Amino acid sequence: MSTAAVELEHVSKSYGERPALREVSFRLRPGEAVGYLGPNGAGKTTTLKLLAGLTLPDSGTVRLLGRAPDPASGSGLERVGVLVGTPGLVPYLTGRDLLDYASRAKGLARSTEQSTVEVAAMQTGFARHLDRPVGSLSTGLARRLLLAVALLGDPELLLLDEPTLGLDPAARADLRALLRGLRREGRTLLLSTHLLEDVEEVCDRVLFLRGGQLVGDEPVDRAPRDAKGTRLRSLRLRFRSPVSVSRLVEALPPTARVVADSETELTVSFEGEDAEQATLLAQVVGQRLPLLSASAVEGDLARRYLATVGREDEA
Amino acid sequence: MSGALLLNAEWELTRLRRSRRLWLLVLPIVAAPIGSAVADLYLRIPSLETARVLGLFITAGLAGLLALDLVALAVGEDLSLGAHLTAFTLPQGRRAQLAGRTTLVMAGVLGSYGVGAVLVWTLSGLLVTPSTGAAAPIVLPLHLALGLPGLLLFLGGVTAAGAVVTRSAAQSLVAGVLAGVVAAGVGSWFLLERSLTALFPVGLAAVGLVGFAWSLYRFPSLEA
Repeated sequence: MSTAAVELEHVSKSYGERPALREVSFRLRPGEAVGYLGPNGAGKTTTLKLLAGLTLPDSGTVRLLGRAPDPASGSGLERVGVLVGTPGLVPYLTGRDLLDYASRAKGLARSTEQSTVEVAAMQTGFARHLDRPVGSLSTGLARRLLLAVALLGDPELLLLDEPTLGLDPAARADLRALLRGLRREGRTLLLSTHLLEDVEEVCDRVLFLRGGQLVGDEPVDRAPRDAKGTRLRSLRLRFRSPVSVSRLVEALPPTARVVADSETELTVSFEGEDAEQATLLAQVVGQRLPLLSASAVEGDLARRYLATVGREDEA
Repeated sequence: MSGALLLNAEWELTRLRRSRRLWLLVLPIVAAPIGSAVADLYLRIPSLETARVLGLFITAGLAGLLALDLVALAVGEDLSLGAHLTAFTLPQGRRAQLAGRTTLVMAGVLGSYGVGAVLVWTLSGLLVTPSTGAAAPIVLPLHLALGLPGLLLFLGGVTAAGAVVTRSAAQSLVAGVLAGVVAAGVGSWFLLERSLTALFPVGLAAVGLVGFAWSLYRFPSLEA
């Protein structure tokens, strides 16, 4: 009896002569959040399509929550939320139409349907747009709607392919917070993305895929966190002329720490997300310090990604 | 299965309502009797049977266009937009998805044809004064009225199968139009040869049902 939330065993898939996946095997334990990384064309979306029953393997077995998904009957997907690829939306329908339909297809009772729809829309920041025709939505809002569909019915397992595609920085930060919350509640997440920061923020483990083969499976080496568990980020600031550290410290929020690398180059660690980073930079500029450039200090995951997967796209 | 069938029939109704295509179903009910009545009066058709034949052809022509358009969109729109990537990941049978949607559309088309045909039949009786010695109609009106649904099923079935093969509403529409032209040509040839029998509409209906059945068989194994 399998206890894995997701299980792939020796799965291979080809499109014509071109192999997309070769003998891929991995398991996700219940409650685990796993990042799935690889260059374009490595086979990430194909893997998620196989898991969701959108395509069938040439060989090997796929199981979700202990059951093999059956594409014809849709069985095996009852407790799974899926966002794979870039699904189209029928332009004249509203977001509420789609969510109503999806919630009923997921077997939610009509009495709870409306509240479920509203909750899912609120979780993804789509609530204000529920009654707009989807043809009028921006790429980011359409993505939020599709995420809301995936979140309907409180799924145990979420298969998400580029969930933050097209989202603005604030929405990305909100989504990451939502995914962290779902992970804390014990949901299992498989997150395919190109954004290493999303994986670092959300996932416990990372799988590296290259050329249709799994080339790495290791824990996410987390960036340092403070006592409250907030992730510390670092920015490297370069100045046109030497600046005094004390003058820079005056410009920064109290939680930021400054490390002098040289007279014209300093590294600032701070708590927070993209919004806090923007505020910090605005404060530095506001102090009329001769800022030349600011760059994020890459986490360990980026280094390991490049070492394991390399730089070439395979599409 | 029946729950998913009903859900998807309702879903198709929502789509028809939102896109305002629902109003198209009124055409055979309103436009066909009006067109038929104008023809009855303006052309001074001397035979009640011929008037009814003309009216039934107008009604079925409009209903046939609806069968092509609505089935093409019911089956092919999601596939061409990629919206099936969402629908296919929901825990419901794919056959039930397609069956619910096409059943609603074809029920609407056949129902619309039926109401239009009854109105045309009744109006012709009121507007045309039969004259003795008028030429016999090319087919018996009652036979035509009962045979034309076979043509509508044929158009719907071919279009549904075309949409599954091409994954495109536009291309399936073209396939349906071409099939309609072939059916009209073959029917006319049988008529000229005086060999048109009930087998022809029954054959058309059978081909249409095979088209729907094949679509239902093939739809679940479509890969995204």
